[in-house]
Amino acid sequence: MGHQEAQGGAQADVLGRHQRAPEEEPLNDAVDEARRDAILSITDSTLGFMSLQDMLSELLERIRGSLGADTAAVLLLDEDRGVLVPRAARGLEEEVRQGVQVPLARGFAGRVAAQKRPIVIEDLSRADVVNPILRQRGIRSMLGVPVQVEGRVIGVMHIGTLHLHRFGSDEVALLQLAADRAALAIDRAQISEQRAVTEVMQRSLLPDALPDVPGIRFSAKYLPAWSGVRVGGDWYDVFQLASGRLAMVIGDVVGRGVLAASVMGEIRTALRAYLIEGHDLASMVSLLNDLLVSTGRSRSATLSILELDLASGELEQPRGVRVGVSARQRYETRQYPFPAGSTLLLYTDGLIERRGESLDAGFERLIAAARVAADGTDSSFADHVYRSILEEASLEDDVALLAVESLPLEDVLQLTLDTQPEVLGGLRNTLERWLAAAGASENEIFDIALSASEAATNAIEHAYGARDASFTIRCEREGDDVTIVVSDEGRWRTLRAHGGGRGLMIMRSLMDLVEVNTDEEGTEVKMTKTLSRRA
Amino acid sequence: MKIVDTERVDGVAIARVTDDVDAANAGSVKAELEDALAPDAHCLIVDLHETRYLDSAGLDMLLRLAGRLSHRRATLMLVIPAQSQLARLAEIVGLPQTVVVQPTLSSAQEACATLSRDAARADV
Repeated sequence: MGHQEAQGGAQADVLGRHQRAPEEEPLNDAVDEARRDAILSITDSTLGFMSLQDMLSELLERIRGSLGADTAAVLLLDEDRGVLVPRAARGLEEEVRQGVQVPLARGFAGRVAAQKRPIVIEDLSRADVVNPILRQRGIRSMLGVPVQVEGRVIGVMHIGTLHLHRFGSDEVALLQLAADRAALAIDRAQISEQRAVTEVMQRSLLPDALPDVPGIRFSAKYLPAWSGVRVGGDWYDVFQLASGRLAMVIGDVVGRGVLAASVMGEIRTALRAYLIEGHDLASMVSLLNDLLVSTGRSRSATLSILELDLASGELEQPRGVRVGVSARQRYETRQYPFPAGSTLLLYTDGLIERRGESLDAGFERLIAAARVAADGTDSSFADHVYRSILEEASLEDDVALLAVESLPLEDVLQLTLDTQPEVLGGLRNTLERWLAAAGASENEIFDIALSASEAATNAIEHAYGARDASFTIRCEREGDDVTIVVSDEGRWRTLRAHGGGRGLMIMRSLMDLVEVNTDEEGTEVKMTKTLSRRA
Repeated sequence: MKIVDTERVDGVAIARVTDDVDAANAGSVKAELEDALAPDAHCLIVDLHETRYLDSAGLDMLLRLAGRLSHRRATLMLVIPAQSQLARLAEIVGLPQTVVVQPTLSSAQEACATLSRDAARADV
C-alpha cells in the first residue's frame, strides 16, 4: 500500500489509477462471469414487481454473495437536505436503523457522491469516515460507487470486508454495473413513491368542500403536473370566519415533492389559525411574516390572501406582499369593491405560463377563457377556464385555480339552508345585500333581515336532532312590497325553551304582516313589509 | 373564536362583544360574559356598540344574565349607542325596563362608579 501512505495515509484511492500486482488477486474469467450473472439476474425484469425496499435488499444480498463482501449498503440522496440517507443494508443493518445521515462531500459515501466516481478505502482505520457504525462493525476495507441516472447522482452503493482487502478493478466494474442497473429502478420507484405521498398530502391539504355561502359561488381546480415529482407546491383555501367574512388564499411554494407540500401545510395551518383567532388581515400577514422568517422559510412561498366582506361587498387585500424577508414588518391593506355579478379568479402561474411563450400571451389566453366562462352556465367557472386553457397542453407545473363569483341578485331570492344556527349570519348578510339592491332603507334592511333570521331560527329549532335537514327561504319583491317566506318540515313551537315567543313578537313588531301556517307538512312563516319610497 | 374581549378598568369589567349575537353563539357568549365578572364586583359592563344584530336568543340570554347578576347583587349594564338599530330594537322589546342601558361606554363607567360608591357607603 505504498502509494496510499504517500498520500498521507488518507483512505481514498480511485480504482483505475490503482496499480495492482497481477498475482495479488488472479482474475478468473469463469468466476467473474458467474458473479456478473448473479447480479444481472436480480436487476432484471423481476425487479419491476418488487417494492423499492425488497428490490434493494435482494440486490444487496446478491452483491454481497457474489463479491464475497461482508457488508453491502445503499444510501440515497435527499436532495432537499443535501445528505445521503441509508436506505437498505446487508450485514450493516444498524446503519439503516439508526438513520445516520452523511452530508455530501464528507466521509466516505459523501465523497463518492460528490466526486461521482468509485472510491476504495483499503484500510478503514486510517480513513476519515463520518459514520461510526462502519468502524464499530469492524469493517476494514471498503468500495463505494455512485448510483447515477443520466449523470445525476441519486445515491451511493458500497460494500465492505471485515478483513483487509484490496478491491480489484473487476470488482469495481461489477459493483458499478449493479449500481447502474439498479439506478433506473430506484429512480422510478422513488419518483412514484414520492409522488404518491405528495399527492396524498396535497389532497389532504386542500379543502374537502368549498363553503356554501348564499349569493356566492365557488369553484376550484387543482391539477398536479403530468410528470415527475414536480407535484406538491400549489394550494388554495377558502373558509368562512366567525365574523361571516370569507378568507380566500392561493399559494405556490418554491420546490417540489414532499418538502414543498409540508411547507405548504405549515403556511396553510398558520394562516387559518391566525384568522380564526380573530386577527385582521394586516396583523395576520405580519404574524405570518414573522413565522416564516423565524422558521427560515424565507423566499420560499408566494401567496395571495383576500377577505370578502359579504355585507359591504368589499374585498380586502394586503398591500405589497413580500412575506418572509425580514421580521417585524407592518402591512397595510386596501379595499376593492366586489359588486354582484363580478368574479374573482385566483390562480398559480402554471395556468398561464408556457415554455417559449411570453407571459402576455398567457394573460390574453386567460382573459379570453374567463370571458367565455362568464357567459357559460353549463359548468363551473373554474372548470370552464381550466378546460379552455389546459385541456390540450400537458402540465409542466402544478396549477391551482379558485373562482369566486358574486351572483347577481334577482327579484326573487330563494335559498335552501342547513338547519344549523351557524347559517344565520350568512343568511342575514345575503339578505342585506339583496335588500340594499331592492332599495330598502337601513332601518328596513335591519327589520327584515332580523325577522327572517328569527323565522329561520325557529325552522332550525324544529329540526333539532334531525340530520341533514334543511329549510327554505324565499324573498320576493313586488312593487314596494317585500315578502319573505320561510318553510320547514316541523311545527311552530309556541313554548320555546328560549325566548318564550319573543321571536314572534320581534317579527310582528318589525314587519307589517306576519302569518304562521302549520299543517301536516310543516310550518310556513310568511312576512311582508312595504318599503317606504325614497326619493 | 372568542366573541367577547374583556378588560378591567378601575376594577370594573368591561366586556366588549365583537360580533352579532344570535342562536348560533348566545350560549358561548353567555359563558364568556359570566367569566368576565369578578367575584366581588358590583357591575358588569357589556359593550354592544360593535354588535349589529341581537336576536331573540341573544336578548333572552342578556335578560337571564341580568337576573343572575342581581342574585349576586351586581348590575348588568349594557352599552347600546343611541340612534342605532340595536337601540331601536331594545325599545321595541322593552329592554330598558329590565336592564340598565347606557348610550356610551363612559356613561356606563360613571354609572358603575356611582353604584360602587353607594355600595361602599352601605357597607360602612
